[in-house]
This record gives sequence, C-alpha cells and structure tokens, in this order.
Amino acid sequence: MRDPTFAVLGLFDSAQALVDAIPPVKSAGLGALEAYTPYPIHGIDPKLGFRRSPLGGMVFVMGVLGAVTALFFEWWMSAIDYPTLIGGKALFSWQAFVPVMFEVTVLFATFTAGLGMLMLLNKLPLFGHPMLAARSMTGITRDRFALGIEGDGERLLDVDACTAVLTAAGAVEVEVVPALVNPGWTATFATRSIFGIVVACLVSGVGMYWGIKLFHVLPPMVHMQEQPKLMPFEPSTFFADGRGMQPPAPGSVARGHLPYTFKALEDALSLPNPLPATDKVLARGKKEYGEHCTVCHGALGDGVTTLTAAYGAKPANFHTQTLREYTDGKLYHTIVVGKNAMPSYAVDLTEEERWSVVHYIRALQRAQNARPEDVP
Amino acid sequence: MSTSLAAHPDRLPDALRPPSLTDGPVTLGQIDDQVLAFPARKPPLKWYLAFAFTGSLALFGLVSLGWTFFEGLGVWGNTNPVYWAFDIINFVFWVGIGHAGTLISAILFLFRKRWRNAVARFAEAMTIFAVICAVIFPLCHTGRPWLDFWLFPYPNERALWVNFRSPLLWDVFAVNTYFSVSALFWFIGLVPDIASMRDRTAPGLRKTIYTILSLGWRGAASHWQHYEKAYLLLAGLATGLVLSVHSVVSFDFATSLVPGWHMTIFPPYFVAGAIFAGFAMVVMVMVIVRETMNLQNLITMYHLDVMNKVILAMACIMGYSYFMEGFTAWYSQDEYLHWGFMNIISGTYGWAGMVTIACNIVIPQLLWFKWVRQNYAAMIFVSIGVTVGMWFERFVIIVISLHQDYLPSAWQVYKPTWVDFGILLGTFGIFFSLVLLFARVLPVIATSEVKAVLPASQPRPELHVHAPEPAHASAPALAEEVADA
Repeated sequence: MRDPTFAVLGLFDSAQALVDAIPPVKSAGLGALEAYTPYPIHGIDPKLGFRRSPLGGMVFVMGVLGAVTALFFEWWMSAIDYPTLIGGKALFSWQAFVPVMFEVTVLFATFTAGLGMLMLLNKLPLFGHPMLAARSMTGITRDRFALGIEGDGERLLDVDACTAVLTAAGAVEVEVVPALVNPGWTATFATRSIFGIVVACLVSGVGMYWGIKLFHVLPPMVHMQEQPKLMPFEPSTFFADGRGMQPPAPGSVARGHLPYTFKALEDALSLPNPLPATDKVLARGKKEYGEHCTVCHGALGDGVTTLTAAYGAKPANFHTQTLREYTDGKLYHTIVVGKNAMPSYAVDLTEEERWSVVHYIRALQRAQNARPEDVP
Repeated sequence: MSTSLAAHPDRLPDALRPPSLTDGPVTLGQIDDQVLAFPARKPPLKWYLAFAFTGSLALFGLVSLGWTFFEGLGVWGNTNPVYWAFDIINFVFWVGIGHAGTLISAILFLFRKRWRNAVARFAEAMTIFAVICAVIFPLCHTGRPWLDFWLFPYPNERALWVNFRSPLLWDVFAVNTYFSVSALFWFIGLVPDIASMRDRTAPGLRKTIYTILSLGWRGAASHWQHYEKAYLLLAGLATGLVLSVHSVVSFDFATSLVPGWHMTIFPPYFVAGAIFAGFAMVVMVMVIVRETMNLQNLITMYHLDVMNKVILAMACIMGYSYFMEGFTAWYSQDEYLHWGFMNIISGTYGWAGMVTIACNIVIPQLLWFKWVRQNYAAMIFVSIGVTVGMWFERFVIIVISLHQDYLPSAWQVYKPTWVDFGILLGTFGIFFSLVLLFARVLPVIATSEVKAVLPASQPRPELHVHAPEPAHASAPALAEEVADA
C-alpha cells in the first residue's frame, strides 16, 4: 500500500534548535531524517547520517578525461589529419597545446561539478516533489528550519508518534506533508505533448529552410558577391567599344599556339619532329594521347575501342602499312586539321603537345611491330 | 579550535575582532524583505530614465555595428600597420573588467573572506555582462561574423582544422570556457535565491518563471551537502581559469616579436591589471546600487573599504610592472625596445602614456587615506580614473607598439573613426543596460550566502560545548581567526 504521508515536518526558528533536535528524533527511529534549511548548515550532514559527497571524485575523473580528450584531438588534428608545419615546430608540439588542454580540462571539470551536482546527485530539476506543495516551504526558503521524518519505504509513517517526537524535541510547529498522487499519462497531457512536438518541428523546419535559403542573398552577406568588378565578357562603358574585356592587339599570338601556316598536306609532309624522343616527351605524349586520342584510336592505337561499334565509324589503325609509312609531318598535319570524321585538335593541344603525341604514336607502332633487336 | 573562536568573536581583543558584516542586527527574514522585494516592485522613474539612457547608448552601438556589417571593416580606423586597434583594446578592457567578479566569487571564497558574500552576486553578474561586451569585438573583427563558427574545430566540408599553436585560438577556448563557467557558477549561486523568490511571489507569470528557474530547489540538507561541495570545486577551478584567461589574452601579444610586446612579465601584469580595472568598476556600480536600492546595511562602508584596498594593492603591482617594463627595455640593450619604451611617454601618443601612468599609478595612491576609501566622491573619482587609465593602458600597449616598430617606412599614425567610438560607447550601454535589467528581475545580493554568515546563523561547534575554554587557543590559530574575517 502506498504511504499517503510523504513526511512529518517539525519547524524550528534557528539552526541551533534544528541541530539540537536531531539526536532525540533520530533515536526515536520513526523513519529517515532530512532537514530543509534556507542556507547550508555546517556540520549537519554526519548528524543526519549522510555519506560524503562523491562529487570530488567525479570531477577529478572528468577533468582528467577533459585533458586527455583535448590532447588527443590536438595531436590528431595537428599531426595526423591536417599536418601543418608552423614556424618549423614539430607537428606534435605539445607545449603549444597546453593552454587549450587546460581550458578543456576546466570546462569538463566545472560542468561535471555544476550539472553533476544539480542533475545527477540532487536529481533536479524536479517540480513534482511533495515538499514543494508543503505549506512550510515559504518559510524554509526564508528563515525557518525544518526537520522532516520521511518514510523509509518499509513501513507507513506513524503520524501521531512523529508529531509527538518532534514537538518534544522543540519544534514550534508540525506539518504533515501528504505524498503526491501521480496522475500518470492522461489523454490531455499526451495530446498537448504531441501537439507541442509537431509545432516545434514545423517551426524549426520552416525556419531553417528559409534561413538557409535567404541567408546568403540578404545584405550584408550578399555584399561578398556584389563587388565592383567586371566578370569576363561583361559589357562596360569604360572603353569606346563597350566591351569590358578588350580583344588582344592585332598580331598577338597565344603561348604554344603559333599559327599553322600549311594549308595543303603536301607542304607539311616533310616537316621534321622538332622534339627529341626523350622519356619526358614520351610521357607527355602518352598523357595527351590518353586524354584526347584513346577514346577512338584505342590505348594500343589499333582503332578498336568500345566506341567503334557504337559509333559506326572506323578510326584509323596506326599499325597498318599505310599509316606506318606516314611521315611525322603527315601525322602532325592530321592532328592539326583533322581527317574524315576526326575534328581538328589545334585548340586542345599546343604545338609541343602535338609533336609529343606524334612521338608516342611512333612508339606504339614500334611496340606492335617489334623486331628481335628491340627486346632488351 | 579555530571554529570555536569564529563563533565567539567577543572573546577576542577589540583590535582583533572581525568587523561586523552588516550595519546593525539583521534577521534572516529582513534580508529577504530587503533584497528580494525589488524584483516584485514596479521600478521607480529613475530606473526607467537610467535604462532609457543606457539603452540609447546600446542602440547607438548597435547602429555602429550594423554599419560595420553593411559597409565592411573599412569604416573602422584600423590601418596598416595598426590592424588591431579599438577592437582588441576594448576586448582586453572588457574581459579584464570581468575578472573582478571571478576573483570575488572564487578566489576570495577559497580564502574564506566572508565579506565577499554580499558583493559576489553583483560582481559575478558584471563578469558575465563584461564578457558579453568583450566578445563582440573579436567576433566582429573577423569581418564576417556570421562565419565565426569557423573558429571552432569541427569536422567540415573543407577538411580543415584550426591551428592549435596560435594564441588567438587559445583565446577562443579561454574566453568561451570563461563565459560558460562564469554563467554556470552564477546560475548555481542563483538557484536557492530564485527558490526564495518563487516562494514569496503570488501565482502568475513571474512565479512560473521563477519556478522553472529554481529547478524545484527545496533546500534539503542532502542537496546543500552536494551544493556546497560543488561550490567549493567550482571556486577552485574558476581560480585557475581566471588566472589563465588573461594570461592567454596576454599571449596574443607576448608571443609576437613586436618590441614592447615580447616580454615574460605580460601574463601576471595583465592579470593584475584586469583585477585592478574590474574592482574599480565593481566599486563604482556598488556605490550606485547601495544608494539607489537602500542596501546600506548589507553592503557596508567596510565592504567598500576592503575593495578599495584591493584596488590600491593592484595599483602598486601595476606600478611595479610599468617599472619592470622600463627596466627590461634598459637591461635588454635592445635599441628597438629601448626606443619603443621611450616612445610611450614621448612619441606621437605620449599624452596617452602620461594619462595611463597618472590614472593607474598616481591617482590610486589617494587610497592610502582611510577617508578616501570611505568617501563616495573620492572613491568614485579614483575608480573612474582607474577605468580610464586601464583603457588607455591597452591603447598604449597596442597602438603605440604597433604604429612604429622596426621599419620607419611602415610607420603610420592611427586615427579612430566615429564607428570605433560608437561601438565602444555601445558596449558601455549594453553593459549597464544588462546591469539594470539584472537589478530589476533577480536578487542583487546572494541572500542564502549572506544568511549563512550572519552572527549565530550557524550552530555552536560541538567542540565548544564539551571544552568551553578558548584560553589555550594558540597564537597562530588566533591569527588565522582574524584572517578569516
């Protein structure tokens, strides 16, 4: 059966009277003792039979954890995940990590002390405690001192006996504090909770959506985009022709793009390859060939790729007799002006890159038609 | 043994008797009626006038900040080579103001200075408000304050981490920790007082708010036991924290190579200066609070007297630090450092150096006289002097050191703009508006702490009951007793 009484309170006018009343009330053994006071009374804890507060140990453990956490993250971020060399110092320069380590230690320790005390040890916030409904509470937070005999969970409180003991111990007033009846989950409470959650979700969701959508287009954030400068090809009244970006002076030549003057194949046939067939040139040729030529001519230069069947075209096979007899100049000319379905690559490849590709094609041809003496 | 003496100061010789912490006898209930009644009453007209004034200042500051955001940092006076000026001066200034609160709430608690109980709440509140004013400056100095979360190390799409070797990042951690810990400390101190407010307020919106904020505190002895332990631990941790915060702030300067900044004396010198400026502000505000809220019997002349003594002690430390700066400059044989030091008193901003020395070293010497320590006009004069002096000290350190360092070709004179002054005035407005709001809605004195140190508020120690003779109290114990008070 539930005890209908939470506690019997004896009220006293001074801390001294309260402390003096503890021994006789305790020896009566009617229930667990608890005092309610407007300020902490020194030395009352052992008299009421409380154990020492475990808070010190909790704070120490969390403080150490804070130090270790900070040092670990500083090491991992600065030396492992994003190693940056600063001022020639070691990546794990622990001396420089001490200030942050100290602050994080204090942060962990203080929040353990504060919130650990309130929430873990004192189980606050708690608004449904029977004492908060007691008549004496107004006096307790002001200038009255209460000694409560509370149920110990085994037997019902003997209200009359408690009253007698407290009065005998000098209480100026006795109050019986009833236990609160927990109403449990009611339909109204459930409806209100669900309604509250839905409204909170809607408000935060809509707020976040518009926040993210509008944030960067509102001043002053948008001022980062609105800058007094011209983007490429934008018009401007500064020049007479109305262009923001002026065309290059007549006769200007872009780097690596000397104009190709040979219109006819015959003129180009005898052009020599100006580049030596060094490793570097071949590597460059391989890279450019891979990016621009492989898609049709294939990695081996045999004109067989997945694209061939799908496209219905017949890209040249470099290993046929005809193509092996092409001069360097003819290959070069083909790259520049294109042939049949093949477009010009003059825009994509600079002069040096074209000649490098020619070298690489020669290497492919030799690889597919190797002579015994080519084998090292 | 010592506790038995504490309970019976009447057994001490007159000269050693601890001064009373209240003027005249005060009962527990009277404290509540005096302190907790304010929030329940409609504030007087002068409160509204004061709030209108501070609110306008705050508004002016917000307009200046808005203009900064709209136009960009170019509206400030910062220029090559003085990239840090008003923003960092005001940051250091305000963080320093906050340090007095933590000193009173934490360090003086550890030293068992019982007079701290009456002023701790207000000083702690001032800490929080001062830190709020302080963080405005570095946050806006980043230029795009809406991206300030980049200051924290969090996993981001740019795959970048912050630089843990930078003193500016240490600042981020120090100031954030300082603010959260101060706020927590303050709130925990408030919980029992808010419970008192809850129980004396008629049902209504106010009572609901106080009920929620009191967390359902019911004054149980088992709760007080953990509460006191937590308070002691918080005080111990906050002590280390407050010393670290201004040290870290000073590292911003001390770890650089600018002549006038690169000195090992900077951390202790900054901490002392912070406490110095903070106490001046506390004295100023306490005088106003004491008079306008009729708290003369709880915040006595004795309280103001000891706080003025702290100001005097700090002024002497500041004098020593200034002297050591000069000595370091001379002893280093470094011509840049030597010239830089002389530049403080004879350069372009020589007047600022003179103001600093006069306000921080000379004027506080008046506090050697007891009548100055106990006279409103005199102590407010000294406190305003210290506040102005400490602001100019940061101006001297930052602007004078930066505007002329190694290369004469890079020298440039710094001139603040109206926006700089607007934001500075605005933070004063924000600070005092928050102070006024705080005095309006929350108890300005920690009632449960003051109640605990009233005479006869604690039970007689057991020892006394069984061995009543205090005659064998040793001399050290006696001295300890006197120090207790």
